[in-house]
Parts: sequence; structure tokens; C-alpha cells
Amino acid sequence: MNRRDVRRDGDRQADNKLNLDPARGEDWMHLDACIKCGACTAQCPVAAVYPLFPGPKSVGPDAERLRLEGIALAPGCLAYCTNCKTCEVTCPSSVRITDMILQVRRQEQEAGTGKAICRLGMRDNLLGRAEYLGRLGTLWPPLANTVLGWKITRRLLEKTLGISARAPLPRYGRKFRTSDIVPLVGETQSYGRGETESYGCVKTDQNRRSAKKVVYFPGCFISYNDEATGQAVVKVLEHNGFEVIVPHFHCCGVPLTANGRFREATANAQHNLGLMQPYLEQGIPVIASCTSCGLALKEDYPRVSAPGAQRIGAQTYDLFEFLWVLHERGELRKDFREVQVSLAYHAPCHLKAQGIGTPSVRILRLIPGVKIQELDAGCCGLSGSFGFKAEKYELALQIGSTLFQRVQEGVKEEAFQAVATECGGCQVQIEHGSGAPSLNPVWVLYQAYGLGISSAIG
Amino acid sequence: MGQGLEKGSVRYSVQVVIIGGGATGVGILRDLSLRGISALLIEQGDLAHGTSSRFHGLLHSGARYAVKDPISAAECIQENAILKRIAPNCLVSTGGWFVQMPGDETDYVEAWLQGCQEANIPVREIPVQEALEQEPLLAKDVLRVFEVPDAAVDGFKLVWDNAKSARRHGGRYLTYHRVNEVLRDGERVAGVQGENLLTGEPFTVESLMVVNATGAWADRVAATAGASLDVVCDKGVLLAFNRRLFQRVINRLRSPGDGDIFVPHETITIFGTTSERVDTPLDHQPTDREVQRLLDVGETLLPGIAGKRLIRAFAGVRPLHREDRELTGASGEGEGREVSRTFALIDHEVEEGIKGFLSVVGGKFTTYRLMAEKASDWVAGKLGETAPCRTAEEPLLPALSERLRRKALALLPCAAAEKMLERLGQEAVAVLETIREDPGKGQLLCECEMVTVAEVEKAVADPDAHHLADVRRKTRLGMGTCQGAFCTYRALPLMWREGEKYDPLGRELIRFLNQRWKGIRPILWGEQLRETEFTRAIYAGLLDLQDKGTTTE
Repeated sequence: MNRRDVRRDGDRQADNKLNLDPARGEDWMHLDACIKCGACTAQCPVAAVYPLFPGPKSVGPDAERLRLEGIALAPGCLAYCTNCKTCEVTCPSSVRITDMILQVRRQEQEAGTGKAICRLGMRDNLLGRAEYLGRLGTLWPPLANTVLGWKITRRLLEKTLGISARAPLPRYGRKFRTSDIVPLVGETQSYGRGETESYGCVKTDQNRRSAKKVVYFPGCFISYNDEATGQAVVKVLEHNGFEVIVPHFHCCGVPLTANGRFREATANAQHNLGLMQPYLEQGIPVIASCTSCGLALKEDYPRVSAPGAQRIGAQTYDLFEFLWVLHERGELRKDFREVQVSLAYHAPCHLKAQGIGTPSVRILRLIPGVKIQELDAGCCGLSGSFGFKAEKYELALQIGSTLFQRVQEGVKEEAFQAVATECGGCQVQIEHGSGAPSLNPVWVLYQAYGLGISSAIG
Repeated sequence: MGQGLEKGSVRYSVQVVIIGGGATGVGILRDLSLRGISALLIEQGDLAHGTSSRFHGLLHSGARYAVKDPISAAECIQENAILKRIAPNCLVSTGGWFVQMPGDETDYVEAWLQGCQEANIPVREIPVQEALEQEPLLAKDVLRVFEVPDAAVDGFKLVWDNAKSARRHGGRYLTYHRVNEVLRDGERVAGVQGENLLTGEPFTVESLMVVNATGAWADRVAATAGASLDVVCDKGVLLAFNRRLFQRVINRLRSPGDGDIFVPHETITIFGTTSERVDTPLDHQPTDREVQRLLDVGETLLPGIAGKRLIRAFAGVRPLHREDRELTGASGEGEGREVSRTFALIDHEVEEGIKGFLSVVGGKFTTYRLMAEKASDWVAGKLGETAPCRTAEEPLLPALSERLRRKALALLPCAAAEKMLERLGQEAVAVLETIREDPGKGQLLCECEMVTVAEVEKAVADPDAHHLADVRRKTRLGMGTCQGAFCTYRALPLMWREGEKYDPLGRELIRFLNQRWKGIRPILWGEQLRETEFTRAIYAGLLDLQDKGTTTE
């Protein structure tokens, strides 16, 4: 039983016990369950390095009781929560600490009390929209990367928008797309909004008529910054006999939520659920390779009011979680070639929050020649766009300093040559903080299946 | 020891001695002090440690008494308006609802509306749909909802603010001093004598008048002067929930009975009460049966009440005055509510020929000021003093300056700043100064109620604080979700720095934990059971406090 199942059971029991009123909205967060042990704050990566952030207990369940009295916290304080969910993973009482914090931010935003300085409001608007930035950046990636590479541009961005000039903004690449677009019957009728491309659906070439189908949710990082990895994911799934369906999803909504754009996040979720619903009804699994997208699909989407919301939680799988399920059923192809590589593995926070362990490590250990060790050195600090913000850039590096140090030591001692991690943000930040190369673990599998040689492994 | 008294002296001389440091006593102290009459208040424990803090924290609009007790109703609504004016920092004008549930007598509603009108209590009917939107936890089958100007009041704070205001005008008080005897000089009272409970030293006060405002103890005190009083001790049990369940006071619209009032109080909700005659004011231990009864009854207004986390149960003893003619008839449960809650002034000269001795009995927290005014009028009349009562106009505390608020918000997280300003008013200046000099003292010592190290340090050093419970009443330390699990040991080093004042610390620690335990024991299930086991692990396990004294108070 993984965390998902435990959570749901827990929720159900609590629901019965407390006779919850969902309209009220705070009972499902288990406020009453907090016994003030402080484990969440002890584990919080931000509180550990930033004394002005009072920690998840204080801004979560402690503040919640005062908030019900009508006394709010200073909004600036909440902005230091990176939404990494370490507190929720840690909490022995299943208190939904991050959800509490997000709810306060949402309410402050709706009430107009959380208005940041205009400049930062614009910045958050921009960073929340990784998707639109991505669309822009992928129009002509070399140009975007060149312009963003200029120091003058970065200094301007810092001065005007508060985006740190030193932060490791990911480079744009070719937009992720697979060969052809097949409009899906029924989808346009139910959820048509007149923008044809959005209703289309990409089916990959191979296995077109395979009985085994999966929906792939690539996420913004794959779509705009790292399409090659997206292709590798598709190829690996196809190698296992799946037809991979990639509807034209919008951003999962996590960056929007993290930057206080809650309404837009909900709209995105509704749109994406609309695209997935026909497949969900057929029992087709949804695969996410980005751990934040995956967590959102599993935990946030079921709370959105849209068709498919009841199914999405149980039908979403992290890519390696899915591959491990195949392995346990004896359905994973094991025609592995030897891959001589030594890797360190960093578990992204949102993978930990999914409560599925580290399936990519287990999968990679099936491949002959692969040496992989878990770093277990905490959060990288970037947390999506948190570390891009000028006032938080240094803090983000501080949060990740333990990890970077471990990576540097390991590389120096030749214990490993690169860091594998599923999250694109973590990859960028680890390279920035430690100087060591990073890659998505899917590349190892890709190479083991003989689908190609990955430059990252060498 | 109260300020302005010669240290070491055990003889005092004043015009008036007031016995009892509850709301009525401090109200009289303040009233007399404002009139320029010298007065000394004697209290056997801490101020407000008895009935004045063991109640709902409800400032009545009077609507509860509109049918059966029209005089109380009229008094309440007048005092309600006065207190909102003079003590805005001690209360929150939450408003209150009276809700009629299926099965509640329909006739009662008409009589109630009539009664409210006669007592000048403003009533506004709220459409049920609107009511359910505003209070989503309220039972969906509610029939009618009426809004009245009920409010939530902080008993500790109101009592202390009265005492502090009195002190500014020359009034004095002695806490932890027990009166053993009201002294007589022939047919006049001559003062009181008793014992300083902290030092064991005897003390004597010479005075022209003695006012007995000892609530449930009034008959015992009167008896020491040879006077007799009939006071009924009526225990009321209350439950404290972990959080605010309602945003306003919720009353059941029917003849007052058990478990029909919810009061949102700061971060918690207080629900009660019961009414049961007890033999002694010391009987304030809630029983399992009473707690269960409250939860059973409360289910009607708040479905699922048993699943809401309780953090404690407590009880207060109402002192009800029963005149001889009301003595007939069977006594039993519920009798307490039949006795008038209007107060009485007993001039023992009229009753027993004892001159200069007044007992104030009955009444309720909401009308404490009126009782004090009447008692003070009597005292002033006897002394030939003509200065009028000023307590209905004079605010208890000076208004908070905007500068202070800004300073607090600059130094502390918003919630912590607001709560501290509510508790301390202008006195927050000293705490903020400490934090400015040493930002480390801005850390939260009590995280549940967001109390800083600096504030606890100030309360611990206060000359009026003798036990950790005294600090608790001033700061809310130990009154939140954790019920003292973390703040108790954190407060110990601050107490240790005060030298012998809190010596020995170990006993102080055990006493405080046992007081907390007393209120937790009757509600030991669910989340609070987990909390308590956790607390036990800290103190009995980590700190090895097992089997080292189990004194309860």
C-alpha cells in the first residue's frame, strides 16, 4: 500500500469521524489532528536555513487557528513556503500543512489583501506561466537562449521584474511534439472552446493499434526545455508495447499555484481533465515523467470540479512507478544491454510527496553495469521558480548546499559521474549549484534498450 | 504583593476592605478608587482564578433572560452597551444568534420576542439560508434564527484591567491572602484578619467598612462576622474545543437549559453549560457524565460535535442568592436556573444589626459593573462621600496608539503582534522594547497562542505573578492545543531567573501540569488523547517526572 492509498483511507476515516462539511473547507486539512510535535518544522528545508521563516507548523496549523479567529499572518511570511511538501510527508498526523498555506494565499489573493509590490506581482504572473514563456521561447529557441544569455538582459530582468540575474534559467529547446495530430471524436464536442489545436491529440507512430495504451502528460519542462527527454520517455514506453497518447495539455498548474495564480491553475486542471476524461473512462493510465505534474494529477486534480476528477488520482502514475508495476507483473521488457555508468540519485521533493519511494532507482538497478547510489541530501532549493526570484536566489542555494556539497565530493572522489533525477528544476539547480552534470534517469533505460546513445551518459 | 504597600508590614489601614478578587470585587475596588475612597482588596488566590474565569466568556445581551427574568434582561442589555464602550479591548462584538430547532416550543419564541422588546434588546431575524452560509457547521434543520448583541468577553483580562485601573487611582489589592475573620468592634465591623498564603504571615486590616464579594464563598465569610447568608453553589461544566467552530455566539432559543450556548473565544470555542447544586465552591471537577450529557445535547445545534477535538473541560461554581421565601420546594438538578440571577446587596445592619458590613451576592459576570456601582453607592452613602460613580463612562484602559501597533507589526509576525496588543494594550511598549534590543526574545515561547519569550518573561517577572498559572491567565500560555506540552518546560528557565520567587521549580512544574491534566482527564479520547500521551512522553519519559509528587490543587 503506498501513501496514496493510506491517505485516502485516512481521509475516509476522518470524514466519517468528523462528519465533515466540505463547504467549510478546513476539516479535510486535519487541523484538529495537529499535536504540535514540530516534526514538520524540524524537517522544513527553508526553516533550516532561513530563521525569518517560522516554519510550516507556525504558518500552517498554528496560524490556521488564529486565521479562523480572523487574524491573518503577514503574507510576506507565507511566500517563503516553497510548496515542496516535505512537511506533509513528515507529519505523523496527516495534517495537510502545505494545503493550509496555499489556501491562505488563495484567500488573501481573492480578498486582495495579499497584493505584493506591483513589480513582484508581475514577476509572479510571469513565472507562474512557464507554459506561455515556453511557447514564446520555443518559437525561436536559439534567439531566446542568446538573448537570455546576455548579462544585460538578465540584469534588466532582475531590475525590472526581480528575477535573479544569477539564477539558472533553463534553456529553451525545440518544442516537444510527436508526429501527427489526430482530432479526437467527442472531445471537441464536450469541451470545445474554439481553439482547434488544443483539442487535438498526438498519437505516436509506433503501436498505433496496440491494445495497450497510455496517456503521457509531458509537462512544461519537457514541452519547452527538454523535448529530447520527452522523446526518450515515449520511446521507452513504446518499446514496452504501449501506444502513447499525448493530448495538447496545458501546464499542470503547479507553477501557477506556487505563484499565487489559483484561478488560472484550476482552469488549467479543468482543461486537462477534459482532455483526459475519455481515456480515464476507458481505464487508460496517465503517465507523468515530471514529479510535480504527477503529484498535481494525483493530489490536486481529484479536488477540482470537473469530469474525470474522481478517476485521475488513482489512474495517474509516475513514469518509473508505472514501469515498476510492469516489472512486478512480469510485463517489463528486460532486453537490457549493459550500460557502464555510475550515478548518484537525487529524489525530488514532489516524488517523495507521492509516497512511492524511489522507483527509478529500483528500475535502473535492474540494468547490468549501472551503479546508482541515493544521495538523500534534502531539497535542491529551487522549488520550481522559487530560486529564480532575486530575493530568494541565495536562500535557494543555501537550502541546496548540503546536496551540492555531497555531489561535489562524490564527483571528486569519482564515486559517480553524474546526478540522475526526474525533476527538470532539480537538474538545472544541481548543475548550477554543484557544477556536476545531471540527467533524467529515463536516458539510462533508453540506452539500455538500445534505442540510442545518450550524450549525458557518455 | 500589590504596589504601594509597605513591604514587610502586616497591618494595613483603609476606609474599605473588599474581600474577593473576582469581577465584582475588582469592580468595587475600581469604583471606590475613582470616587477617591481608599480601598484594599484581599483575594485568597490570583485575581479571577475562580468563577470570574470559569464561565463561557459570554457577555450577555440579556436575551437569554428575556422570558423568565426580565429584570436581569434589562440590566444585561444596559451593561452590555456600557462594557462595549469602556472595555473594548476585553471583548469582541461577535454578535449572537438565538436559533430555534425542531421540537423547541413555538410559544417560547413569541414570549421571547416580546420579552426582548420590553427589555429593549434589539433583535433581527436572519433568513435561515443566510444563517447557514455564515455558520456552515450549524445544524441544517434550524427553523428560525435571531440576531442579538451578545459578545465574547475575556474574564481574566477584564478583571485585571479593572485592578490595574483601580491601582492607577490609588486602589490596592493583595493576592494569595486569605481572610480568616471579619473583625467586629461591638456592632460595627472593624476590619479583617487573615494569612498571607505565600509567606504564612498573619495580617490585619483596619477599616470602617467591609464588603464581602466572595461569590460562592460569601456565606462562609459572612459567618465569620456572625452574619448569615444563603448562597447556593451551582456548578456549571464547560467544554473547550480546539478551534473556532462558530464566528458568533450561538444560543438555543428555548427555556434556558443544559448545553445550549456556544461562545467563540479567541482561537477556541467554549460550549456549555450544566447546572447542578454542589456543597462547596471547591467542587469544580467536571465529571464524565456531565461531559457526555453536554455532547449529547450539543449534537442538536452542532451535528458531529463528538468528533470535534476538545482540549479541555472545566467547571465554575455560580453563587446564586436564594432568599428565604424561595427555599421551599424540592431541591435537585436544574434548580439553579430557577433561582433569580439578579444580584442582591445584603446590608447586614438591616438583617442582623452589624454595621458597615455589606455582602454582594448573586448576579452574573455581565452585570459586574452595575453590582459594583450599587455596592459602591452604598459604601459612599455610609461614608458620606458624594462623588458620583464614573465607571460607566471612564474607559478601563487608554486607547492603543497607532504608533504602537505599527511598531508591533514591524517586530513580530502579524498574528503574534495582534494577540499581544489585545492582551497588553499600552503595556506592550516594554515587551516591544525588549524584542527590539534582543530580537531572539521575539521568538514564540507558546506557539499555539503565539506568545513571545519577551511577553512571558514580563509576565513571569510581574510582582503579581506567584505561580505559573498566574502567568497563564495573563498570557494564555498553556491554554491552546498543546495544553502546556511545550510551553511549560520552555517557561521554566525564565522562572528560574527570578530566583526564589518560584522555588522550587520542580513543584511548580508538577502543579501546573496537574492543573492542565485536571481539565484534560474528562475528555481523554481522540486527538487530545494523542496529545496527552505525547505530553506524558515529554515529562514522564524525557524529563523523568514520574512518581514525583502528584499533588493536585
